[in-house]
Amino acid sequence: MVGLLWSMTKVSIGLLLRQAVDKGIEADDMSRLLFWSVAIALVGCVSGVLTGIRRYLAFREARLAEKRLRDQLFAHVQRLHFAFHDEAQAGDLMSRGNTDLQHLQNFVVMIPLTIANVMTVVGVTVILVLVDPFLAVVSLAALPLINVVAKRFGSRLFPSVMGIQRESAALATVVEESVAGVRVVKGFGAEDVVKTRLGSAADDVYRESMDAARIRASYLPALQLLPNVGLITVLGVGGHRVVDGSLSLGSLVAFNFYLILLIWPLRMLGMIIANGQRASAAAQRVAQVLSTDPDVVDAPGARSLPPGRGAVRFENVDFAYGGSDVGVEAGAPIPVLDGFDLHVEAGTSVALVGATGCGKSTVGRLIPRFYDVDSGRVLIDGVDVSQAKVDELRRSVGIVFEETFLFSDSIAANIAFADPEATQESIERAARLAGAHDFIVDLEHGYDSIIGERGYSLSGGQRQRIAIARAVLADPRVLILDDATSSVDPTKEHEIRDALGVVMEGRTTIVIAHRPATIALADRVVLLDEGHVLAAGTHEALLADNERYREVLAAADDVADDTGVSV
Amino acid sequence: MWMGAGVDEDDKLDRDAAKQILRRTYRMLRPHRRRMVFAGVLAALFTMSTLAGPLLVRTGIDDGIKVGDRAVINKVVVAYVVIAVLSYFVYRAQVVAISRIGEDFLKELRLRLFDHLQKMSMPFYDREKAGVVVSRMTSDIDSLSELVQMGLLMFVSNGLLLVVSILVLGAVSLKLLVLCMLALPPVIVASRKFQRDSNIAYLDVRDGIGATLSQLQEGISGVRVVQAFAREDVESSRFERGNRRLYDAHMKSVKISAWYLPVIEIAGLGTTAAAVGVGGFWVHQGDLTIGTVTFFVLTLSNLFEPIQQLSQLFNMVQSAGAGLKKVYELLDTEVDVPERPGAVDLPAGGEVEVRDVAFSYLDGTEVLAGVDLTIAAGERIALVGPTGAGKSTLAKLIARFYDPTAGSIAVGGVDLRDATLASLRRAMAVVPQEGFLFNGTLIENIRLARPDATDDEIGEAMASIGILDRFADLPDGLHTEVRERGSRFSAGEKQLVSLGRAALAAPEILVLDEATSSLDPGTEAVVERAMERLAEGRTTIVIAHRLTTAARADRVAVVAGGCLAEVGTHDELIARGGAYAALFAAWAGAQPV
Repeated sequence: MVGLLWSMTKVSIGLLLRQAVDKGIEADDMSRLLFWSVAIALVGCVSGVLTGIRRYLAFREARLAEKRLRDQLFAHVQRLHFAFHDEAQAGDLMSRGNTDLQHLQNFVVMIPLTIANVMTVVGVTVILVLVDPFLAVVSLAALPLINVVAKRFGSRLFPSVMGIQRESAALATVVEESVAGVRVVKGFGAEDVVKTRLGSAADDVYRESMDAARIRASYLPALQLLPNVGLITVLGVGGHRVVDGSLSLGSLVAFNFYLILLIWPLRMLGMIIANGQRASAAAQRVAQVLSTDPDVVDAPGARSLPPGRGAVRFENVDFAYGGSDVGVEAGAPIPVLDGFDLHVEAGTSVALVGATGCGKSTVGRLIPRFYDVDSGRVLIDGVDVSQAKVDELRRSVGIVFEETFLFSDSIAANIAFADPEATQESIERAARLAGAHDFIVDLEHGYDSIIGERGYSLSGGQRQRIAIARAVLADPRVLILDDATSSVDPTKEHEIRDALGVVMEGRTTIVIAHRPATIALADRVVLLDEGHVLAAGTHEALLADNERYREVLAAADDVADDTGVSV
Repeated sequence: MWMGAGVDEDDKLDRDAAKQILRRTYRMLRPHRRRMVFAGVLAALFTMSTLAGPLLVRTGIDDGIKVGDRAVINKVVVAYVVIAVLSYFVYRAQVVAISRIGEDFLKELRLRLFDHLQKMSMPFYDREKAGVVVSRMTSDIDSLSELVQMGLLMFVSNGLLLVVSILVLGAVSLKLLVLCMLALPPVIVASRKFQRDSNIAYLDVRDGIGATLSQLQEGISGVRVVQAFAREDVESSRFERGNRRLYDAHMKSVKISAWYLPVIEIAGLGTTAAAVGVGGFWVHQGDLTIGTVTFFVLTLSNLFEPIQQLSQLFNMVQSAGAGLKKVYELLDTEVDVPERPGAVDLPAGGEVEVRDVAFSYLDGTEVLAGVDLTIAAGERIALVGPTGAGKSTLAKLIARFYDPTAGSIAVGGVDLRDATLASLRRAMAVVPQEGFLFNGTLIENIRLARPDATDDEIGEAMASIGILDRFADLPDGLHTEVRERGSRFSAGEKQLVSLGRAALAAPEILVLDEATSSLDPGTEAVVERAMERLAEGRTTIVIAHRLTTAARADRVAVVAGGCLAEVGTHDELIARGGAYAALFAAWAGAQPV
């Protein structure tokens, strides 16, 4: 609506100009000249105000659409199952939530402008034809070419701009690496090697940038040239006709004015076409994520867990990664568990031991239903986890991952992640149990210290201890420790081990570990091999009777050195 | 003339800083002086050709159409065609010339900065956050490239167009120009206010984008933790709040341009109306020709466009200036481990002498004091001690990652500070605690240690420490691509690559930092063996985290509280019953089996 008014005012100014020249200056009528020039000024004001309103409305809609889509994308990604995230690259999701949405916004903002521009072009053409059909056809003949050139410009520039982005990313990788790996570079005196790499990356960026510059150099002048063709035609053909008396001078001036008015909308059309291609690719990539349904959702008639102390049972479970539809890109299924049976009595602890890839981490991930089993059942206190309410299930199961992830927030907020309402007392209690309290109070801001990417950098062991505290605070009925102490400094590990002993007391706990001292914390040890239970018993009993168990531990013999070593 | 207006605002850059940046940039551009003059001439020619069109229209109307002289009309048309064609080629050359200057400048800046970064020593990297250093080379220079790729061209051509338009308008009719200039004061006021407000809004938007992106990043990389604690809803609504702030910041900047653009447009059309109205009156009085009025109407549309575009360019210039300032600051950081003039090469086969060495951080915290230690050529020495006692620092001083604050470290009698950096790096290799892989293939990663090594030499080096089979068995063998910093390789395998580099470098002196965290058992044993074979026949300083490693060394040095507590063989120290014996006893007692 605003766009329509806007293009009307734009178009009418040329007509007013013609009136002012013909009726005022040419006819030597000063009162009419005054009238028409005041009219130009007034319409100019209206047009200006409309420009402002149009711009505001267009951007408001476009930004709102961008914001809503981003909210939606974030919420959706939060709900997508683990298998999806195993396949998806974080960087790729990031670019969908950022660059792709930007492309969409850039396009959406141009839609109302495009409509207004198209109306301007149509209006101008109609008026010119009405004023003088012959001159209109002759002078407009060159204008469609502008559109063609602009379109080609857009489509040729686009890959080149992408090339610049690609090469800049490659350059950034070289820089990031040489900073992150500075110890290697310095340690081997490899400064010249990385310099050469950077040099060739910088050359690539330069080459792509100059390619783009040359494309700009061949199209921009053409876009500049074509309107001149129209102006020249009007001057040549129109000029002679004014002399003939078949055209008024005012019409000639108006023609010139209109031709200049058309330049911008026509150039924009080319840009919009290029933008539209990019936006539709972006829209597809965003839709791809939004249309992936979360695999792990509440079953119809999902029930609450009954009160209990966390008895865990695996019944004949088969599981393979990539078995179900993982959304982004399915690989070949890799069988991990094969007829797996395990029973952990409420309040007892079990250590899962086995070589890398034997499936012990997977067992931990099936209990909170991060993945669904292919066949068989996983039960907590008698309820099949696939029939339990997902939220409730996950609140009842605490897990400490092998790779610690902490949020950019205060230490207190990180520990209280499961329960933001937690009191300072309970946060400190959890931190003490995880052996984290002492180093936390030594920090300048104590529990209020901001950690994560943009805050204090803590050591791997310190981060793991905060992650343990986070799980402890949730007070889960089942606790899973997936190699949770691997980065803890050997000097500190015995402290945590003592603390873990307290945490595990009377709580169903599943410990996944390499270090014998940690394994020994558990009531029972289960030895896994190729996806099923090979043997079970106490650490001592297995050590005495089981050849394979001794082998696995013997392979870890050197690892045993660092348990409890206080060097 | 409006460009300078916002720079004196104190938002980001003060006038002095801006001047300094300009001066320095000019110095860097000096070698390109000729090309700059050439580009300037081209830009001036192009601007003139842009204005020639309306001028020719004026002549055509006044001398041709009005007086009915068809010959003049034809001449004008021909002249216009010639000028249009010429301007096409001039413009083309101008775009290439300006882009080339800009891109050359960026490339040179990148190379210089990286060169400088490579000279910086370890203390610099310890002090600065990696992300900040990287952003100097990436986002700060990228903020310049936007300016170079579009802004510079727009800046030069619009600026020139503005100035030349005013000059030509004045030459044609000073009276009419003065009339039109009445519109300028409100435009200047509006432009200055726009620059100031939009700069503030722009900084807001930039902060908002940064915050939203890191929230997005965190939400994606932390999704497993969020789901494990069933906090999806809370995190989503937290994200919505941050996203809302970004939206508000965007809208604020839209509002600012939504009032500014109309002001310019109204001023432009108002001036057109005035030119027609008053100009027409003057035509009536016989002071002006109708061609002149037409010329004004056509040129005025060229006049207000540049003002608007220049104002919008301001943010780009501002952020580029801020980026340049940071880049220059980094270039000015002094290299703290420089090579002395007249440095000599390190002699081969010398012993390592640490004499009365002390080391403190910049803030005065003392890490080491009075350390004396002589390591014979070919000897293997293990440094043990609690975390933070200074054993890593001692090793880093020996590798000259840092210079000691007092005392000296010499190899074969030459103080490290008097040695050439090249000979030092040749003589010594440092294997850090964590294996680090660069993008590229495995073999390229190993070749890093000796760029001229052939594939066969690399294979031999790897075989010599028994790690060749481990990698040669991969489907692509040594040419396996290391993706995403080696995420497909285990920590142990990365460590092996690291040891492979050391084997290829074949240094006389080896500094090994043993990994603290546990590796998977299978690889652990291979790593141990490779380290053993690597250390054979070399002067080796190993920072030991495991007492078995210490027990295998020729001698053990216990670092405690910044001093050497004990030095001797494993057996001697056990017999002595001191700190080492206590550590060893505690360890033996903690064995679970």
